[in-house]
Amino acid sequence: MNEQTGTTGGTGMDDTTNGTPMGAAEAAVIMREADDKARRDLRVSHRATFTIWGLGFIVGYGLIWLAVRGQQPFHGTNSVAFAVAALLSTASILAGVEESRTGTGIGGLSAVRRRISFVSVLLGFAAMFALEAALVQAGASRPVVSVFEASAPIMVAGLFYLTRGTVQLDWPFAALGLWLVVVAAVGGFAGPVGVWAVDALAAGLAYLLMAAIDPWLRRQ
Amino acid sequence: MSEDGLDPVIHAPARLRIMVTLAALPDGDNLSFTRLQDLIGLTPGNLITHLRKLEDAGYVSTQKNGAGVTARTSIALSRTGRAALDRYTTVLRQLLDSAYEDAELQLGEAWLQYGQGSVDAAEGLGVDRAL
Repeated sequence: MNEQTGTTGGTGMDDTTNGTPMGAAEAAVIMREADDKARRDLRVSHRATFTIWGLGFIVGYGLIWLAVRGQQPFHGTNSVAFAVAALLSTASILAGVEESRTGTGIGGLSAVRRRISFVSVLLGFAAMFALEAALVQAGASRPVVSVFEASAPIMVAGLFYLTRGTVQLDWPFAALGLWLVVVAAVGGFAGPVGVWAVDALAAGLAYLLMAAIDPWLRRQ
Repeated sequence: MSEDGLDPVIHAPARLRIMVTLAALPDGDNLSFTRLQDLIGLTPGNLITHLRKLEDAGYVSTQKNGAGVTARTSIALSRTGRAALDRYTTVLRQLLDSAYEDAELQLGEAWLQYGQGSVDAAEGLGVDRAL
């Protein structure tokens, strides 16, 4: 083996260095400590991701709701919507960077899965924006577009979590995904104004709840 | 049961740490040498020595990608290694269980001796056993 951090061969250190006669109880302690450390350090924490997305939805959607509240007739908020899109994109990137930091040094299937997940979400959002453009081109009214703008990102995120959670038998992830899909499907009934408030709270708080229980979930 | 039943390749603190750390990864994943070194806290030379022993036993596999300064060595637990660690864990559990039972037995015997001593002492003092 020739590693960049040390090209030495054997150092003569053997079991006597880190392998002094070891009793069963000591072995059990070592196993427990090593397992705890590995779980703590190697398992990707989603806490930052959930927190960033939760705050992104509450602040971003909340700002839009404040902007469109009381509009007669409803004409939407293109500049605020653009700012929210930028905010959520930034949140997505920050979350990805945070998660990839934990995954440093881990290769194999997990790394491939992470890359595919990242690309899938990007494709989902790209498709969402394309569909919105198609709706506008087809003559959809501002209220209809507003409902779509509010619900579609949550639907994309929800389907992503639901699929990933069920495939990996990660039930908290799947539950979050299912909840987001329900929020996206039902929130639109609150109308072009109310949908922003409903989605901000229903999606944002769900993310923050997941962030709060993430340390507990990682210990399971 | 004696500790002879424990796999000697695994039954060393550093190698046990390496095996348990790699076992924490899902199947199909590997860990870079530098990250493993950070987690285990061994010098590179010492880690290489232990990894060689585990590799010789077929418990881990190492793969080197790239060359020069971009070289990256990744280490993964093999199926044989995971099975060996499972066996090691089972034997260790049995050892600890039997040690616990022995300790309980000794405690029970000590308690019985203590009880008998109390009875003898009471009889010595002329206390009626019926009381």
